[in-house]
Amino acid sequence: MFVIELAGVSIGIRNRYPFIERQCRAFLSSETDVAFVVEVTPEEIALESNHGEYSDGYSESICVYRHICEEIAAYNVFLIHGSVIEHEGAAYAFLARSGVGKSTHTRLWLKNIPASRVLNGDKPLLRVEEDGSVTACGTPWNGKENWGENISAPLRAICFLERGEKNEIRAAEEEEILPRLMHQVYLRGERESVERRLVMMDALMRAVPYYVLRCTISDEAALVAYRAMSKIKERGKSDADQ
Amino acid sequence: MQINKDFTIQKVGGAYVAVPVGETSKSFHGMVRLNETGAFLWKALAKADMTEDALVDALLEEYDVAREIAARDVHRVVTLLAENGILV
Repeated sequence: MFVIELAGVSIGIRNRYPFIERQCRAFLSSETDVAFVVEVTPEEIALESNHGEYSDGYSESICVYRHICEEIAAYNVFLIHGSVIEHEGAAYAFLARSGVGKSTHTRLWLKNIPASRVLNGDKPLLRVEEDGSVTACGTPWNGKENWGENISAPLRAICFLERGEKNEIRAAEEEEILPRLMHQVYLRGERESVERRLVMMDALMRAVPYYVLRCTISDEAALVAYRAMSKIKERGKSDADQ
Repeated sequence: MQINKDFTIQKVGGAYVAVPVGETSKSFHGMVRLNETGAFLWKALAKADMTEDALVDALLEEYDVAREIAARDVHRVVTLLAENGILV
C-alpha cells in the first residue's frame, strides 16, 4: 500500500499493478493515519478494461479514482470535469462538453497569460470550505494531455466554453448555470455520497461568478476571458448579483 | 405509479435535481431538473402510489390554479419522469 494526499485528505491505495503508483508520484504522502483505504477487485478491473481494450494498470487507476470520489465526498470534496488554470494564486475553471475545446483554450492561456499554469486539465477535485468558499485541488488524474500539478488554489470563477465566430464573454444567466453545470459534476455512486455531492454542488453555485465564453481559437480568446474573470475580486459577487 | 426508490432529489440553486443512486446509477445516467411544482409532485409520488388524477387533486389542494393547468403540469412532469425511468 502507498499513501497519497488529495485535497488535504490522506488516502491509502492498495494496488495490484505498478501503473497507478507511478501516476501518483507527485502526490505521495508519508502520512500513516489515512482517512480511508481504496482497493479494487480483479473483477472490477476486468470489467473496466472492456475485454482487454485498456491495460489492467490503467483500468485499475480509473476504478481507484471512482472509489476515491465515492469516499471523499464525506470530506466535502467532489470531482468536476473541466480544465482548471491557476494564475497569481487564483483558480479559473473552464467547463464544456467533450470536443468543444477546453484543451485548446487552456493552451491559449498558457501562451498568452504570463505565469499561468494548469492546476488540472481534466478531472480536478473541488473542496467546499466551512465559509462556503471553494478550493480547486490538483490530482494525478489529468486527462490525455497530462497537464496538472500538486497544487491547490481558491476558485475564482467558472466559465462555460462555447465555440463562436468572435470572442465574447458574459455573465451566465441564473437559469442556465444548473443545466450547464450538472453534466460536468460526477454524481454516480451510493445514495449518501451522491446526496453530499448535490449539497456541495448547491454550495458551488453560490461560491463563484459564472461566465459564458463564446470564442474562436485565437490569442484574443484567452485575453478576453482573463480580463473579465480576473477582475472579480469579491468572491460570490458577479455583475448580475449587484 | 411511484418514484423509483433508487433516485434522490435535492435542491440545487433555485431548482431541484433528481439523479439515480446505488446500482441504478451505474447503468442509468439520466438526470432531471425540476421546478417547485415538479418537486412537489415528486414528493407526493415518493410517499404513495398515485394516478395522474390523484396528483392533479393534490396539486389543486396546494396551489390556486385552474384544473386544466394543473392537469397539463402533472402530465408534463409525469412524462418527464417516465421517460427518464424514474417511475415504477
